Amino acid sequence: MKEDVVSAAVSRRDLLRLIGVTAGSAAMYQAMSALGFAAASPYQGQVDLSGAPPGASVLILGAGMAGMSAAYELRNAGYKVQVLEYNARAGGRNWTLRGGDSYTELGGATQHCEFDRDLYINPGPWRIPYHHQGMMHYAKVLGVPLEPFFQVNYNAYLHSPKAFGGKPQRYREVKADYQGHVAELLAKATRQHALDDAVSKEDQERLLESLREWGALDQNFTYAANCYASDRRGYAKNPGGGLSARPIPSEPVGLGDILTSGLWQGIPNGDTFDMQTALFQPVGGMGRIGEAFGRELGALIRYNSKVVDIAQDATGVTATYVDSRTLGGKQTARADWCLCTIPLSVLAEIPLNVSANLAAAISAVPYASAIKVGLQFKRRFWEEDEQIYGGITYTDLPITNIGYPNTGFFSGGKGVLLGAYIWGLNAMEFTAMSPPERVQRALDYGSQIHPQYHREFDNGIAVAWHRSPFTMGCFGMWSTDSRAQHYDNLCQIDGRIALAGEHASFLGGWQEGAVTSSMDAISRLHKRAVAQGAKA
Amino acid sequence: MIFPERGRLNRASAAVSLPLLLIGVGAGVRADDSSFTDTDDVGPLNGEQIYQHICQGCHMPGGQGAVGAGYYPKLAGDKKLVSWEYAAITVLNGRNGMPPFALPAAAAKETRAVRLSDAQVADVVNYVRSHFDNKYRATVTARQVQALPHPVGSMAAP
Repeated sequence: MKEDVVSAAVSRRDLLRLIGVTAGSAAMYQAMSALGFAAASPYQGQVDLSGAPPGASVLILGAGMAGMSAAYELRNAGYKVQVLEYNARAGGRNWTLRGGDSYTELGGATQHCEFDRDLYINPGPWRIPYHHQGMMHYAKVLGVPLEPFFQVNYNAYLHSPKAFGGKPQRYREVKADYQGHVAELLAKATRQHALDDAVSKEDQERLLESLREWGALDQNFTYAANCYASDRRGYAKNPGGGLSARPIPSEPVGLGDILTSGLWQGIPNGDTFDMQTALFQPVGGMGRIGEAFGRELGALIRYNSKVVDIAQDATGVTATYVDSRTLGGKQTARADWCLCTIPLSVLAEIPLNVSANLAAAISAVPYASAIKVGLQFKRRFWEEDEQIYGGITYTDLPITNIGYPNTGFFSGGKGVLLGAYIWGLNAMEFTAMSPPERVQRALDYGSQIHPQYHREFDNGIAVAWHRSPFTMGCFGMWSTDSRAQHYDNLCQIDGRIALAGEHASFLGGWQEGAVTSSMDAISRLHKRAVAQGAKA
Repeated sequence: MIFPERGRLNRASAAVSLPLLLIGVGAGVRADDSSFTDTDDVGPLNGEQIYQHICQGCHMPGGQGAVGAGYYPKLAGDKKLVSWEYAAITVLNGRNGMPPFALPAAAAKETRAVRLSDAQVADVVNYVRSHFDNKYRATVTARQVQALPHPVGSMAAP
């Protein structure tokens, strides 16, 4: 078995060398991608839609990232495009709530956002990892500047009310201590010859040296209260200048305490592919991208239009829609083709003549429950008192996250925190509350981490995604089983209708999933349109 | 409104929950990073409490339902509730975007689903069918619910 793996690796390398020699570096890169060595972005650059049949038309349902990126490309390729959008604004879940905005959720509760000028909360997506090249492409094309989003802040907290007497722990301390203790244990095992079967003599030397560096161990391979460890976890007294300069090392927390605390669960939050540095956010809020798309597409988007029926026939697709505010004024829109980006939670309830397989796929995906709460405080105490500049604190309280603003540092005025970002049962429970109660709960829980909360609180706003009239849920929650049974069916073009959106992607909830699914769908629609020739 | 059991629902158990990354590659990646969320067990709630903590998030207080781009069925006076089996199968397996509430533990973890026991499903079905102007008798039992089709893996019953 071992030999098989080795020889496979060798032959793969040989194969690549052969390709590199004979076909040049482009082919080599392509081959590397195919074999999984070089990770290509799922965004393949601008789709080639050349040769659009004259007069061909596409009806797009939904003006979110999927619908608008498709509308932009199809329009530019010469298609006649019309977009129907339920909301009075462009963007869908790409959305920012700012001071002066109002939001009415299902059930009728209206919240008025009372944040100060320039302060905001992103109820939906709030970060763009560096490899989401599609989103970055459109931000650039639309002239929306991006700024850094701090996923990991070593000075933010990991917290559990059941750990360390409920005292929040700095991320750097938990990470350094966990890593240091694990390195020490592994070094001990190595030196006691427990790894002799697995690691060669020469590699053991290298392993020990790497463990010393990785874990900040001293010359005896011990993780202890000294300057090595404190250079990771922080000092009891930081090094400075002058006579008062001498640093005092801090005391690491024991491995047992770290393990019992459960806080180790928060260590890899910046290690997953989608959370790795660098990440970005649009200046002024995520909604800037949707707003810019809306301006760019102008009159192509018809707002306040609620689709109530979708019917395809041999020559085209007709959507029937009403005014989403009055539910009256029934009208129809028709085109040769339809790109439907309506969330499955909504689409499952709209009459639609498609194959049984697609209909089953549409109904097979429950939507995630999620909550975000924005809290405005009279001062940026997390910066002023605790030196937390951006990033995220994680807790096992129901609020899960406290997200610090990644912009406006040192501004001296008020500040807005993401006071809760909740999933699963706790999200369902928060959804069942009134908006003021959600804000109050977020405040009460968060005050366990930041005692300044109650004194400094100004106002708040809470968005429960299952109460969102335009999505009725946060995002499609695929399981491995449902993927296997329904995903391909969901993405197949059905007659003249193709679906797109984050739900038609492997990037659940990510805007990049919406964009890449749209590019994939319209390139396939385009091929069909070209094959059919001029407008039927 | 009083939520006497609120605390019970919030027992995210950091020390025993499994890391998120158990999520299979097949399920794809997700845009959340709530590393501590582990909420598949609601504890011993009765039908009324389950309705008020969970169901009314969508079906609204008083079972009034809601209409947006789609709709949440109005349970008050819902004629479909004449069939307790329909109601129970919906809670067990989900329907049109509504999550299933009877997934096996591993599948529930993968999709952050919430798990109710057959007795709880019976209880919440009884509650909904005997409140909000619905006048059906609250006689569904856990044994009856147990006999209905349950999800297989993470999939609704065929």
